[in-house]
Amino acid sequence: MAAVNPLLRMEKVEVLYQKVITAIHGVSLEVLPGQITALLGANGAGKTTTLRAASGFLGSDDAEVSEGKIWLDGEAIENRQPHEIAARGIALVPERNKVFETLTVIENLDATGSGSVSGNAGRGQMIERVFEYFPRLAPARDRLAGYLSGGERQMLAMGAALVCSPRLLLVDEMSLGLAPRIVEDLMAQLVTLKKDLGLTVLLVEQSAHLALEIADYGYIMENGRVVLDGTPERLRQHKDVQEFYLGQVGGEGRRSYRDVKQYHRSRRWFG
Amino acid sequence: MAYASGYFKTSYGGDLVLLETRLQKASLAAAFAILLAYPLVASPFFMGLANQVFLAIIGAAALMLLTGYAGQISLGHAGLLAAGALTTGIMFKELGAPFWVTLPSSAIIGAVLGIIFGIPSLRLKGLYLAVSTLALHFVVAFVGGEYETRRGFSTGVVISPPQIGEFQFNEGYKWYFALLAIDIVVMLFCINLVRSRTGRAWMAIRDREIVAEAVGIPIRRYKLTAFVLSSAMTGVAGSLIAYYRGFVSMDAFTLNLTIEYVAMVIIGGLGSMLGVVLGALFVVTFPYVIEGALHIFPIPQSMANEVFAINFAAFGLIMILFLVFEPLGLVGIWHRVRNYFLLWPFRQTGIGGGS
Amino acid sequence: MQIAANIVVHVAMYALISCGYVLIYRVSRVLNLAHGELMMLAAYLLLALGTAFGGSPVAALLGAVVLSLAVGLVLYVVLMRRMTGELVISAVLVTIALGIFLRGVIVLIWTGRGYHPIDQLLWRNPPIALGGGAAISTVAMVMIVTAIAAYAALFVFFQFTRWGVRMRAVGENPLLAAQRGIKLHTTYALAWAMATLTGGSAGILLALDSGLDTSMAIISLKAFPAALVGGLDSLRGAIVGSVIVATAEVLAIQYVDPLVSDVIPFLVLIVMLMVRPWGLFGTKEEIERE
Repeated sequence: MAAVNPLLRMEKVEVLYQKVITAIHGVSLEVLPGQITALLGANGAGKTTTLRAASGFLGSDDAEVSEGKIWLDGEAIENRQPHEIAARGIALVPERNKVFETLTVIENLDATGSGSVSGNAGRGQMIERVFEYFPRLAPARDRLAGYLSGGERQMLAMGAALVCSPRLLLVDEMSLGLAPRIVEDLMAQLVTLKKDLGLTVLLVEQSAHLALEIADYGYIMENGRVVLDGTPERLRQHKDVQEFYLGQVGGEGRRSYRDVKQYHRSRRWFG
Repeated sequence: MAYASGYFKTSYGGDLVLLETRLQKASLAAAFAILLAYPLVASPFFMGLANQVFLAIIGAAALMLLTGYAGQISLGHAGLLAAGALTTGIMFKELGAPFWVTLPSSAIIGAVLGIIFGIPSLRLKGLYLAVSTLALHFVVAFVGGEYETRRGFSTGVVISPPQIGEFQFNEGYKWYFALLAIDIVVMLFCINLVRSRTGRAWMAIRDREIVAEAVGIPIRRYKLTAFVLSSAMTGVAGSLIAYYRGFVSMDAFTLNLTIEYVAMVIIGGLGSMLGVVLGALFVVTFPYVIEGALHIFPIPQSMANEVFAINFAAFGLIMILFLVFEPLGLVGIWHRVRNYFLLWPFRQTGIGGGS
Repeated sequence: MQIAANIVVHVAMYALISCGYVLIYRVSRVLNLAHGELMMLAAYLLLALGTAFGGSPVAALLGAVVLSLAVGLVLYVVLMRRMTGELVISAVLVTIALGIFLRGVIVLIWTGRGYHPIDQLLWRNPPIALGGGAAISTVAMVMIVTAIAAYAALFVFFQFTRWGVRMRAVGENPLLAAQRGIKLHTTYALAWAMATLTGGSAGILLALDSGLDTSMAIISLKAFPAALVGGLDSLRGAIVGSVIVATAEVLAIQYVDPLVSDVIPFLVLIVMLMVRPWGLFGTKEEIERE
């Protein structure tokens, strides 16, 4: 129900790789401010491509938004340069908890773009707040980031994204390679951040179970299209979501993925 | 050879031929006719020019095999040419050896140096390999220079032209046909080499070394083979250069010469034997074109005296332009033109802007 | 004692030149083989400014230094920027071609003859006695001071300033840096400007000390092994490398044969490449095939 203006809005976006390979097609979604929106789907569904389209990172893969539009708070941002998009308040937490290994933790937090929604003083404050939100990083302040554990790295990656006080946080597969307990902690932190900072989050996840726990709204992608969307409650009740994304087998036993795929693609736009 | 419109073979023999279409055969015959008729109409200056191009083709082919096909960057080319030339000079001067001894010896010396130049390639790649070959070039130049001074040839060695019995290679047109024949042999050898298992292994190493290794290609062996073959050819090229000029001196084999050959390979188009010819033609005739242009366009007298400098500046500029705007070289341009006509009225190009 | 003094001067010279190689390589993995010609260009610019600002040599000097900084910026924006994202070896070939181009232009404008900018600026270069019978020229002393100041400034910059941290980040992982919002092109342009500034200063000082002609670029080619021996992406490596190469060279001139000195840096280079290609302090990256 979009009574509020969406912060990020994608309308019928198509992304082509090398001018011939369609990665995503007809993707439309809305991310409402102050909410956590989940983008789910299996591998290769196009979730990361969608995220890249929003953050401006298609160029390095020789891809481009060939159709459709992307708006950030009313401003068109498709096919813009990454630092322009970053300056407008979108921050990306890249997948696989990448950090600068030869820099210390505090230097990692410093190594961000110069545009900041809240200015230099706000930056300094934000860095300190990152240590409050992720207390495990505080004792590692001057340690080389290469020596951090996977969970700590993910925290650092998230912290670095927060330093510029973004309005929209794009999180790419945070749970990859991390122990479930740590992922739960991080997800809980996202909720805290949402509440404290009014942060809007677009969360791309393979782990539908965890994502739906914290999301306010969800989209499911398959083969480059959005096939289902709705609130977590509705999504959890949907039989296909239960079977294919939540792993809850129904009464008849497992159905083949291929048998039902075509049939359900016609369903769209749950209200 | 792949044509954009698709090409279908019906026998293994058909797959192996070098010339497939009637158009290709006809164009080759026409090219031959022109080449054979050229000496009849060319002035001594143009004969000399053609000879220089033919000489350059040998060295450029060697470098193309190494860098264009096997992907091993080498900045030591001038050092290898120098080695070939110096071997010839030394053998002529000290032993009075005839050319059918000096040529193979230059090849052998080249091959030996090739092993030395090639050893770093087993450990290094890209930039660092280029640097190591550069360093080796300086060492070779130094050793050669030392030999010259110690043995008293600091002004260079004079060599008399090669002769078979009574027949001396001392005139432009004799060199022309000899070099043309040698070039044909060299080109045939290279074209077939790159179509063979060795060539395919090289290209695999060039494109994705780790995958090549995973597929079972013995990387070390093929890399060294590339260096050895290429350097042997380069040694021969150096030897021929020595005979053609009748003179050997280390001064002629500078870093700039290496850059010229690298330019031939790049401007011609990496990974293509046609590129060898086009690149050699371009680079060899370039200074003369500049000179001609200077006659047409007026420039300040002070600048006109520094022809060398103008050449440098123009050469550097052209290289930059090619590297920035046309990394596929002249062959890339040629393919685009050809594909336009082949594919007309379609405009589609392949993925990655293919040729 | 004089030998030691000579070594120190050579170390300063190589260190000042090689930090230009390291700066660009560390940030963009590009080897700038036009560094020598750029160094020369700064010296020739000094010459030109010396003629232009006849009365005030200090203005000429400052102008030349500022111009050498500008040259780096312009060069990146106009040319090297187009090579970002291409293969590194293509970018390196572009720098080689650029070097050739610059050399041609320099000879065209100033011809190949030798100059003595110091005479033109009406300065003198008296020797400074160091005790023990050793002496070095004033300009050589200035070079030592400049090298120390440059390295000190660079250390502070990289460790303690935000742009320094950003440059290190870009050098480590350009994609991640871009994802974090760091402007890659600005970072690269800055690296080039810093490289031409230090290199240009070296060129200017060398010209003031021993005259200027088109063979100056060769010195930069000899300084390059110093950078590589230390590790092409390490500033402290450049210092150590310079010490090694300079010592070897000066000792060779003294005790072996002056002619050998030209080859010594390359022999050291070859040994280093066979034994430890990434240098003494460099990061062991994709240099070797695994």
